[in-house]
Amino acid sequence: MTTASILRLCASQELVLAMRARATQIFAVVFAALSLVVSASGYILSGGSGVQDFARTASSLTELVLFVVPMMALLVGTTALSPDQGAAELLFSQPVARRTLMWGRLLGLFAALVAAQAIGFGISGLIIFSQSGDDGVTSFLLLGAGSVALTAVSLSAAAAIASGAGGAAGRRCARGLAIALSTWFVAVVLYDLVALGLASLLRSGPASRLLITATLANPVDAIRTGVLLGIQGTSAFGSASLALLRFTGGTTRASMLIVAAVIVWIAVPALAAARRLERADI
Amino acid sequence: MIAFRHFTKTFASHPAVRDLSLEIGGAEVVALLGPNGSGKTTTLKAAAGLIRPTSGDVLIGEPGRPAGDPGAREALSFLPQRVAFPESLTGREVIEFYRRLRGVDRDAADAALKLASLNGSSGRAIATYSGGMVQRLGLAVALLPSAPVMLLDEPTAALDPDGLCAFYSVIEHRKAAGQTILFTSHQLGDAERLADRFAILVDGRLAALLTARELSDRLASRGVLRLRVEHEPADLLNRVRRLSPEATQSGDQLIVPGPAGTRPAVVDLVRESGASILGLTAEEGRLDVFYRDLVGGRS
Repeated sequence: MTTASILRLCASQELVLAMRARATQIFAVVFAALSLVVSASGYILSGGSGVQDFARTASSLTELVLFVVPMMALLVGTTALSPDQGAAELLFSQPVARRTLMWGRLLGLFAALVAAQAIGFGISGLIIFSQSGDDGVTSFLLLGAGSVALTAVSLSAAAAIASGAGGAAGRRCARGLAIALSTWFVAVVLYDLVALGLASLLRSGPASRLLITATLANPVDAIRTGVLLGIQGTSAFGSASLALLRFTGGTTRASMLIVAAVIVWIAVPALAAARRLERADI
Repeated sequence: MIAFRHFTKTFASHPAVRDLSLEIGGAEVVALLGPNGSGKTTTLKAAAGLIRPTSGDVLIGEPGRPAGDPGAREALSFLPQRVAFPESLTGREVIEFYRRLRGVDRDAADAALKLASLNGSSGRAIATYSGGMVQRLGLAVALLPSAPVMLLDEPTAALDPDGLCAFYSVIEHRKAAGQTILFTSHQLGDAERLADRFAILVDGRLAALLTARELSDRLASRGVLRLRVEHEPADLLNRVRRLSPEATQSGDQLIVPGPAGTRPAVVDLVRESGASILGLTAEEGRLDVFYRDLVGGRS
């Protein structure tokens, strides 16, 4: 069997498993419901009525995506990839490199989570299109791309967590989930507060450098900055994003730097997981 | 076919297997025996390429390749001790996945399901399977490829009598076809029925490597004859001890350890002494007793 066909086989099996998993189904339903609520509620909150257009919906949905997508991908990925003793022994005794099995499973999980998000984006997109036309559809697609990138980053982190969660076989998944939730809390909730708090204690120059580093060092921040840059330009930027923009000297170079940071965040944890898995005792 | 050369595996400074050297040839069936924690599963998992030796080598196939090499695993199939599958899949979906992964034709998949007596339930979700059915599904997966080497970790532990019959039949068939089989078991019956040789691990060390005949002789020598007697003369125990020095008496019961060959002489002696024999039982040697003897260095 070729590596490509093994990848396809593992991905399709993992896709089936993820689609049948209650967590993925709940994610798809909740994400679709929240997307609908957000797209329908924007005008109501500002005193108007009716469905928002694509650009406004994308702006309103950004925080929801940044909050929900990493959590689901981390939890689903860590659960699926943590070695379940009996299943892992059988799977890894097959004449296939462990890293190939891991990449195949990651691809399947990625496809399942992207499909779940596509349902949410798709339903709200259809309603917006029917009510408000296609104005600002590019912003909406950019948010979708950011969401897909965030899924890839989070699954890569989940692979690293699953391969590194030690302890007794039966407790690896629970330990992995605890690490995944902590990672999510730090990256999505705590990180910005700490970065801004530290920056407020520094003078302008060092504070800017700290904020630039902080934006690129956290993939959630990097994707947030990239999406906001595409949707709203610099008008919606906070201090960290503005510091990055000043440092790079323009939106094009800032975008390239963000894309590079996201690629690194997708590749490095997954490669480290593959390397660790190859050397691990199962 | 399988070669352990000074294989040692240590987990967090605890040695699980120490300096194991064992060569298993083609078409040979070897049972790995030993008490819990003796290193049987670690040994089997090293052969399956699942754990890396701390030192030494584990080689599979002809010519031998390190078990950790994915290519070497073409030559083997492995059944773990506690097999598990995703519960939302059906038995058929599991078999289909492994069939495609091993590049086996569909007929082999059907045959494996039939041998594991899962034909009628292969369309059901694994969540509905009993522990024995999951184990039989694992066995079906292990039987899918006709790899030259089979590694089975306590394959009969969860099998019912029907499953056991099917298992014996498959292994005997594979053995006749020239497959090399290394398996662990706590059931002496399994080991005696299937194995050509017995590797006995105690505390991670190879304590004995015996043929079927040698094991049988050793176990027989550790049998016990129990006689319920009455009207026995006062010196009966001393007379019996001339034949079996470890004989003891507890109430009306005379307990005579020793080889099966001495039993007729003991019975004759008791009768000739004028004692009446009310009851008689004979037990063959037990593996746990044998292990204890090995630990005590009396092998």
